[in-house]
Amino acid sequence: MGKKKTLKRINVFLGAIVLIFVVLIVRVSYLQLIETEHYRTLARENTLRLITIPAPRGEIFDRHGTKLVGNRPLYTVSLVNLGQTRDELEPVVEKLSVILDRTPEELWEAIAKQSPRRYEPIRLARDVPLEIVSRIEEQQLDDLLRSVVIDLEPMREYPFGSTLAHVLGYVREIQPEQLERHREDGYRMGDAFGQAGLENTQERMLRGIKGARQVEVDAYARPVRSLGIKDPVPGNDLILTIDLKVQLAAEEALAWAVAEAQKMGNSDSQAASAVVIDVRTGEILALASYPAYDPSVFAGDLSPAQAHALMNAPDQPFLNRAIQSAYPPGSTFKMVVGAAALETGKIDQQFTVFCPGYFYHERRYNCWNPAGHGTVDLVKGLQVSCNTYFWTVGLKTGPEIMARFAREFGLGERTGIELPGEVAGVVPTAEYKRRVVQAELDRRFGPQFEAVEERYRTKVAMATGEARDQLQKEKQQELARIQAQYDRYAWDLVWRDYDTLNMAIGQGIHSYTPLQLANYVAAIANGGKLYRPYLVQRIVAPDGTIVKEFGPELRHRVPVSEEHLALIREGMFRVNQPGGTAYGSFYDFPLPTAGKTGTAEVLHKNNHALFVGFAPYEEAEIAVAVVVEHGGQGSRIAAPVARRIMDAYFGFLTEDEEEADQTSESRGVAPARIEPRPRVSEPEGPRESPTGSTEPETGAGSPGNEYLLSPPAGEPVTSAEEAVTGTHNPGET
Amino acid sequence: MAIVGLGLVTIASATQVTSVPGEPNLGFVWKQLLGIALGTGTFLFFLFWRYEELTKYTRLVYVVNLGMLLAVLLVGHAAMGAQRWIQIGSFLFQPSEFAKLAVIIGLAAFLTEREGRLERFRDLLPVFAYVGLPTLLILAQPDLGTALVFVAITVGMLYIAGARPLVLGAVTLGGLGAVIAWIWAHLNYGVWIPLKDYQITRLTIFLDPWADFQGAGYHMIQSQIAIGAGGLWGRGLFSGSQNQLHFLPEQHTDFIFSVLAEEFGFVGVVVLLTLFFIVVYRGIRIAAQAKDQFGTLLAAGIVSMLTFHVLTNVGMAIGIMPVTGLPLPLFSYGVNSMIVTLAALGLLCNVWLRRQVIVF
Repeated sequence: MGKKKTLKRINVFLGAIVLIFVVLIVRVSYLQLIETEHYRTLARENTLRLITIPAPRGEIFDRHGTKLVGNRPLYTVSLVNLGQTRDELEPVVEKLSVILDRTPEELWEAIAKQSPRRYEPIRLARDVPLEIVSRIEEQQLDDLLRSVVIDLEPMREYPFGSTLAHVLGYVREIQPEQLERHREDGYRMGDAFGQAGLENTQERMLRGIKGARQVEVDAYARPVRSLGIKDPVPGNDLILTIDLKVQLAAEEALAWAVAEAQKMGNSDSQAASAVVIDVRTGEILALASYPAYDPSVFAGDLSPAQAHALMNAPDQPFLNRAIQSAYPPGSTFKMVVGAAALETGKIDQQFTVFCPGYFYHERRYNCWNPAGHGTVDLVKGLQVSCNTYFWTVGLKTGPEIMARFAREFGLGERTGIELPGEVAGVVPTAEYKRRVVQAELDRRFGPQFEAVEERYRTKVAMATGEARDQLQKEKQQELARIQAQYDRYAWDLVWRDYDTLNMAIGQGIHSYTPLQLANYVAAIANGGKLYRPYLVQRIVAPDGTIVKEFGPELRHRVPVSEEHLALIREGMFRVNQPGGTAYGSFYDFPLPTAGKTGTAEVLHKNNHALFVGFAPYEEAEIAVAVVVEHGGQGSRIAAPVARRIMDAYFGFLTEDEEEADQTSESRGVAPARIEPRPRVSEPEGPRESPTGSTEPETGAGSPGNEYLLSPPAGEPVTSAEEAVTGTHNPGET
Repeated sequence: MAIVGLGLVTIASATQVTSVPGEPNLGFVWKQLLGIALGTGTFLFFLFWRYEELTKYTRLVYVVNLGMLLAVLLVGHAAMGAQRWIQIGSFLFQPSEFAKLAVIIGLAAFLTEREGRLERFRDLLPVFAYVGLPTLLILAQPDLGTALVFVAITVGMLYIAGARPLVLGAVTLGGLGAVIAWIWAHLNYGVWIPLKDYQITRLTIFLDPWADFQGAGYHMIQSQIAIGAGGLWGRGLFSGSQNQLHFLPEQHTDFIFSVLAEEFGFVGVVVLLTLFFIVVYRGIRIAAQAKDQFGTLLAAGIVSMLTFHVLTNVGMAIGIMPVTGLPLPLFSYGVNSMIVTLAALGLLCNVWLRRQVIVF
């Protein structure tokens, strides 16, 4: 090959190289000269992050300024996903596991579970103590941990644990359906959202306004410098009407009551609730539901399964029984009957009934005291809770008027308290009864009819001739048999007189919430003013200005004259006096008080124990309602709770007790002084036999203790659900 | 001329490295300076040696080279999924870099012997065997980029040596086509291929980096963002956010071009590419002026190597070539590469200095 040829080839070679360089230059000019704006933007987007700063949520205080809900910083340790391989992560995880005191496997699991997109943080540990956080920060200087980031988020803190949990509610990451509903309000995935109680209903007040910080970040998403900041605005604080001291006393007393009820053999007893209202304003001083939950469990990591288990615990700790459960009022309803009869002129103040221990209307109904109460007027009727008296008065007054007055006292309708999920309850009416019974009949007989049809369908289809006729006849007979049964029960679709009798003593298909009961008694105590009960007295902005203030809100005046109310109050006063059903709990109370015990019958279970009352008797300040589910007798289980609450309100605790109050968090352990009082008086409530027992004076003569289950001759009684259930003729206390 | 360009590029390189906020900040620079010093040593070494005498040692060089490549596979130091280095003290020795030079020298001698007998296809087979052995060893590391450099060197040198362009073109394009077809068949029909998935992804992602912008395409996208953001004048030294804030991966080695483009802009790129072009152009002039075929082939091989490096590295950064991880000669951080490149340039100058048949 000649030199020339080589030279020629070298020139071609050169040409190829020039071409390569030209291609490179062209491409670079495209990127740098034509598309540069586009890429500048992309580069800026790479480095700029808008980091939202969560607003500290408003705090919640009781009426005396004690903090009930606060905030504390919560540190989260995350790993930025840089697309590292497992080998590269190995030493990092190893080191973190030592610092965080976790096994490496746990961390690997967390990493595997999240595997998010690159440059997003993988959360390894939540709620990390400050000392561990500072240890990590120290070691971050070293290269190994540089992909570890620490985030801070404010988290709810509950200095008093589960106290007042149902009122306060809890906060959790916003749930998908809530996000859907509140997207316009600026919520984003991962934001906190009040899930129950005031946290939920006051969400708008509490949440504050998120801030934001624009930062330049590096590829590990670590902020390099801050470019601007918009400070978050903290949420508003709530000042409640709650008096922590009264609340604590109520909760402790409820726990005691449930334990005591079980000790007495009322094994169904698991739950209780109490409400304390300032009768002059409608302010709620205490609202307790037992059992309660610890709202702080939602602060940490909670898996859906754990949350589900919590929510569905058999004792339903999330149920706020004070407003979400309704109970038959038992004898606590008798004030309504008295007021209705007096006000409509069915009886006058001198009206008396002679109680021989039973009442006769179409058949015999036994009063709880077989010995009889003798001549009974309204005051004595309330004092000894004489059923015969109220049966008589109830029949005279009639169900419509009783129902009307029940509603006048706010029973059977929502009070409008600032809590979610309040139930209305039920004032018994003929229409309601029909619906309940009809539903029960359908439930019971529908399948029976169908079963017969089903059984004969194939048989008839296969048979021929005479056999077929025979089968048809058999079928008709069977249907007729069931129809006959059905007809007997269907008798009960209509409101009957015994329903009126039941209603008059608070049994049967009534159901009212403890809050309604407390408010009703408050109206009796304050001269007929039915207030809207409320929990929030003030909403205060972070700078101290008052955003909103709430005062008494009169819903309406109960149309019962002061004279009549005074008579009823006197009857209630007598209840706590010698000879009254609650004397045992109040005999040594330093102030005159008024009350009314109640025992609501429950089908197949222990009875509910109720007590309502107010104090002082004159110039009343507070009204109290207590319901101990399946607790037995009101006088024995519910009245002591009310007494304990009044002790706390009026400051009648001894020194020791106050100390014990503050130091002991224990629930279910009763302070010694709450033990049942010595029985000094006759008759004292607990003396009567509990209903549900087989003792004749309670159940005998009642038109049907078992309702649809075994119809007593022609007189079945309604009932479906337990709460609505109630036979009549309670063993009263 | 070549030396002047070289000096400028070296300085540019050094300043660039300074802008890499690697943790022991100036450590890289010092190491790189060490590389430059050593490289200058080898440069001078190769400059004053009479290049003609190299032919005597080609066999030895070839054998030592194969030995080292084997050693890498046996006792090598692994990083990023490949085994390319032998640790000597704190220094990581990378035989594949030196293998390039060894192959250039060996092949130059080999082809000189066969001058004028490269017309037919079967004449080329011994050449392929000669280069193929070290290439396979490097592929086994695996280091696809360097193996491709060998291909480029061979093709370039064969062309200058007088192989028929048609045959050469057919073989090159055929080989390239076959590899592409094979990968395509693998992706579409699952045909077996001796490559790991990530390697295939790396080779193909440049076609559409946004297909996996968080993963495999990330490097390419960040690199193009960096280059594009540079604009005409660049964002200033130490001011490129892509570089300074670590969005650019491997910014002091594989993607150093992107750093330059971001911080010095189009102007910087043009200057750099011009310098490279001058070096390459000088190399070609030297090849043309060399007094013998051996010198011409040496120069051609070195030029092929440099050009291919520039093409693949810059091409990768600007998104027209697959990611192969080849360093930018004299510019990327890497002591081995620096030494070898400088040695190669020394050899080039050597050929130039001794271009007159009668000298000294």
